[in-house]
This record gives sequence, structure tokens and C-alpha cells, in this order.
Amino acid sequence: MSEHPASSAMPSGPFDPAGIVWSRVSPRLATARLLSAGIALAVVVVVAGVLLVVVDHWWPWVLVALVVIDAVWTAVVVPRQVRAIGYAERDDDLLIRKGILFRTLVVVPYGRMQYVDVQAGPLARRMRIAQIQLHTASASTDATIDGLEPAEAERLRDRLASRGEARLAGL
Amino acid sequence: MSDADDATLEWRRVHPVTPLVRGWTVIAVLLVVVGQRTLDGLPAGQNLLEGDRWWQILLGILAVGLVGLGFSALAWRMTTYAIDDETVHLRSGVLFRQQRRARLDRLQAVDVVQPLLARFFGLAELRLEVAGGADSGVKLGFLKESEAASLRAELLARAAGLKNAARGAAGVADAEQVEPGDASPVGTDTADRRVATDLGVAVEAPEQPVTQVLPGRLIGSLVLSGATVGLVLGVLAIAGVIIGTRQVGVLFSALPAVLGFGGFLFQRFASSYGFRSAISPDGIRLRHGLLETRSQTIPPGRVQAVRLRQSPFWRRAGWWRVDVNVAGYGLSSGAESTSVLLPVGTRDEALAALWLVLPDLGVPDARAVLDEALSGAGEGAHFVTSPRRVRVLDPLAWRRNGFVVSPRALLLRSGRLYRTLVVVPHERTQSLGLEQGPLQRRLRVATFAVHSTPGPVTPKAAHLDDAVVADLLATQAARAHDARAHAGPELWMRRDEVPRGVPVVEDAT
Repeated sequence: MSEHPASSAMPSGPFDPAGIVWSRVSPRLATARLLSAGIALAVVVVVAGVLLVVVDHWWPWVLVALVVIDAVWTAVVVPRQVRAIGYAERDDDLLIRKGILFRTLVVVPYGRMQYVDVQAGPLARRMRIAQIQLHTASASTDATIDGLEPAEAERLRDRLASRGEARLAGL
Repeated sequence: MSDADDATLEWRRVHPVTPLVRGWTVIAVLLVVVGQRTLDGLPAGQNLLEGDRWWQILLGILAVGLVGLGFSALAWRMTTYAIDDETVHLRSGVLFRQQRRARLDRLQAVDVVQPLLARFFGLAELRLEVAGGADSGVKLGFLKESEAASLRAELLARAAGLKNAARGAAGVADAEQVEPGDASPVGTDTADRRVATDLGVAVEAPEQPVTQVLPGRLIGSLVLSGATVGLVLGVLAIAGVIIGTRQVGVLFSALPAVLGFGGFLFQRFASSYGFRSAISPDGIRLRHGLLETRSQTIPPGRVQAVRLRQSPFWRRAGWWRVDVNVAGYGLSSGAESTSVLLPVGTRDEALAALWLVLPDLGVPDARAVLDEALSGAGEGAHFVTSPRRVRVLDPLAWRRNGFVVSPRALLLRSGRLYRTLVVVPHERTQSLGLEQGPLQRRLRVATFAVHSTPGPVTPKAAHLDDAVVADLLATQAARAHDARAHAGPELWMRRDEVPRGVPVVEDAT
């Protein structure tokens, strides 16, 4: 697996356009994602425990082993994934970069924006992070930034909305 | 909008026969259900129609039919529509009232649809597509054929910006003038909004026929298709099994699959039958349909992306199919048959269909570029293709993957078996994307995507060299921005002045 940490040590390739300074999202997003993954895994562990008591056989241990492997994998990958998320505001468009193994980069022109969503679930609110999503007329535009500070999410929302209005074009 | 404003509108009803045309499906379903029960027999094994129970059933059907008809009639009474200079209003719903306003400057397409039964009554339904997500269009139906045609002409004239009330709603429209239209000799408006009632004022823009698909070729194209191959293989397999096992029972279990393929083929045939395309100042006009006929108008600049595609079975005949993305069509039902610009045609006809959307590629030798796009492979005079090292990743099509940038549009070529060319006008680019998996990363290539509105076409160029794709991403973003700034107005006839809905984009770069 030839993955690099998202530190900007290697500013090369198509995913690092020249002259772009990436803004990072809050590391609390990693905590939030780990927490929700932990809750899901805990449920599986409880089920496995009950099974162990009830059936008195070795096979529920397989479940436990899988949970442990998954937990280790999640703990290793999620913080890196969160560090790999980056966004940058240019004059005419917003750039969003994601992923380590499967990398994606989206360029959304402000004039193409139809509306902006800001979301925060109960866990996210407790962690003081919010998610912002840009919608264009295309369904394949996946322009979501998760793990923003609430203030930053609000600032970004207002800024995107005003820029979108200034550059509004038809379809 | 206030009630006072509503009062100035002339609210009209659709044709009174509408409930009958809409309600017959309920009766038909009922008849099918009863018919099936009668044929199959009841679980107890007795026939429903035996004895004196038949009249009970008849009464039941009648009662349900009457209730359905009554409800449809009520729905008809509650459905009214009105048109002013910028908006189409529709009120509907019996229990849950719905009011819908569709802005004409956001009009993406106008269809006149005639289901079989409506054709008997000489009725038609007008469908307006606005790009607002699933089920966002406005359906006005049913209307008399002549009424539907004149209403369509009227709506298109207004959407084109040919017609304006002299007294603008918010005092903005004062400066606007009725352009001496080269297409529609529109009568001068009387200065009030009641002009909405004067149907037939707008004359339909004249049109020039472009392509016609004859039934012979349509049948040929369907015979030479994957579905037919599947059908033939299925029938052969069933025949083989029956001969081998000497049991006819297999026939019944395999029947649904055969019917599925057959149904698909018939659906294709019925929807593409009598296909004709034409060009008019109001945009592209398409007519097609065997049982349910549909006449579409797609105003200029509304096509978001075009795809020319040739299946391996069509290569010998040199046929192509042309599909388009139009915002609004992609999410409505029946997108399969509405998003077709040409169901089957020769290379010249396919290029003519492309020309309908994009009259000028902006390159001197357009024909050479397009020939290379349709049947070329490898690094040619125009196309930039995938590097040789990706042949492990994409052994078949790597020589076809490629793109060329013209001043007006981006051309993306792909597919070895299914030859495909996708054309996206620069000003129709929604957003751009880049993807790279672990293998692509090792080979230093990435996949470039242009995001378009929902529809059959997904513009993509796979496995381009890292440096090439980085350059393409940067320059394409700039090109799309420039093209948007210089694109024509939404109100397509109003070329000379600055349209209200589309502010001039100040160049911030």
C-alpha cells in the first residue's frame, strides 16, 4: 500500500494544483468518526458476548476477532483520512480534496452552486463540528466538507452563498 | 404573491374529458384482476362467473369505476392553471391543495404528449420541464390538440423573451422591447396582462426537418441489439432444455425472461417509431411514438451533454445512437425515451444530430476531428490519449480513451466495443472531478470527470497521464468560467440586451 500521509511534504501531481493552500478540517472529526464506529462495534461485541454465553461454542470468537481487526483498522485509517481532507477557496471556484487510497478532487464553480446545506447531528454538535454540502444541478457533484468548526461552517456558507449570487448563471 | 395578484390572472381548467382519459387505467386494472381470477379459478376451484354471482361482480366493478370517475372529476374541478409573462401557475389536489409556479426563464423543455386513449379524443398533455429535481415539472392536461399546440407556441415565445407586458411587474421591464422577431411575427401586445387569454397570438416558429428514422432501419437496429441476442439465446436455451428433458413445464418458468426481453424491444420500437427531428428558432424539435406520441421542444442551450454511441452489432452498418442530458428530463419518468436525439442513424445523421446541439465546434477541420473521435484510436492528430503504460489496467480500450479541447466544447472519446463520444459545451460544465485509485496512482494516471445534470450521459475520460490531467483540470475550469461569462441569455431570443435573470458576470480573475 503506497500511501502517503497528507502532510504537504510532496506538493506534486494533479491532486495538488500549484499555488493552492489547503485548509484542513478539525481533528475532532476523527474523534467523532471513531466514536460512532466504536458504538457500532460495541453493539456487535455485546451480541457476540450474548452468543458466547448462550451457545457455548467457539464460533462467536470469530465475530470477536473480526471486531478487533476492524477496530484496529479503523483506528489506523480514520485519523489519516481526516487529515487528508482539504478544501481551498479560489476566486471562482471551491476545491475539495479527499481520500488516501482512493483520492478524489472536486472543483465547484461558485456560479454553478444551486444551494448550500449545513448539517450537524447530535454527536457532531457535541464535538462542535458541522458538515457543509454544496449542491449543483448535477447529482454527481460530491462536494461535502465534514468536520468544520461551526463558526467556519457559517462563514463558509455565507461566503459561498454571496459568491454564488454574484456569479449566478443559468444552467 | 398576494391574492390581488392572483385575481388578475385568468384561471382556466383543462378539458372536461380528462377524468375519463385518466380514470380508465383504474377500470383496466380492475378488469385485468377480475379476468385473471376468472381464468385461474378461485382457490376453492370454482369459477367466479358461475351461478348468479356474476352480476355482483359487475356491480362491484361499476361501483369502483364510478367512485374512481367521481374522484377524477373532483380532481379535474380542482385543477386550474394560468399563465403570465414570467410564470406558469398550476393549482391542483382535492384534499391536499398544491400550488405550483414554474418560471418560464428556467424552462428546459416543453413536451406535448398524447397517450393512445387521448389520441382518440383528440387531446394532448403539455409537460413543462424545469430543472428542479424529481417530479418538478408542470403537467397541463388534457387539452385539445390545437389548444396544446398554440399554448406551447405561446409559452416558448414568452420563454424566449419575445413577449413582454409593457407594464413590467416590478417596474424592471420598462426598458425591454419586443424584438422584431425573425421567427415569430408576434402581434403587438395590448398593454395588460390579460394577453394570457389571447391564445393563438404567438405563431409557432418555423422549423426545418433534419432527420427521419424509417421503420425498416428501426427494426434493423433492434434486431442488431444486445436484447435480441439475449432473446434468441434464451429461446434456444429453452428449446434445448425442452428437447433434452422432454418436459414442457420449463417453458412456463422461462417465459418471464423472454417476455422481459421482448417487452424491452417492443418498448424501444414503440417509443422510437416515426422518429423525426427538426430545428427551429425555438430549439430542437423531436417527434416520435407509435401508441403514445410525443412531440418535444428543447430550447437552445438547454442540452447539457451529448453522447454518440455505437454498439459492436452496429459497426458493420455504421449506425450510431445519440443521447442527451437535458436538466429535467433526467429525473422525470420515461427518461429512457425522452433523452434520445437520434435512436439510430448513419454517421452523417449522428453528426447532424450533434450539429443541432452544437452548430460550431470552433475548429477549422471539424470533420477530421469528429472522424477521429468516432472511429479513431491511439494518439492522433487531435486527440490526447491514455499513455501506453495503462494497458495492464484497461487492455481493450486504452487506445480509445482520450479527449480533445475545442474552443466551444470538450470532446471525450472512449470504448473499444461500444464506441462512445461525449461532447460537453464549455458553458454547460457544472463541476469538475478527478479520481485516482491505488493502481492508477502507481501508473501515474487519473480519471477526469465532468459533472453534468442527471441523464444518460456521464462525461468521463479514464486513465489520463498525471501531468496532462492536472493541466486539463486547471485550463478546463478557466474555460468553463469564460464560456459561462459569454454564454447567451436564458431568454434565447433576447440576444442584444442584458437579460434580467442573468446578471453579467464580472470577471474577477
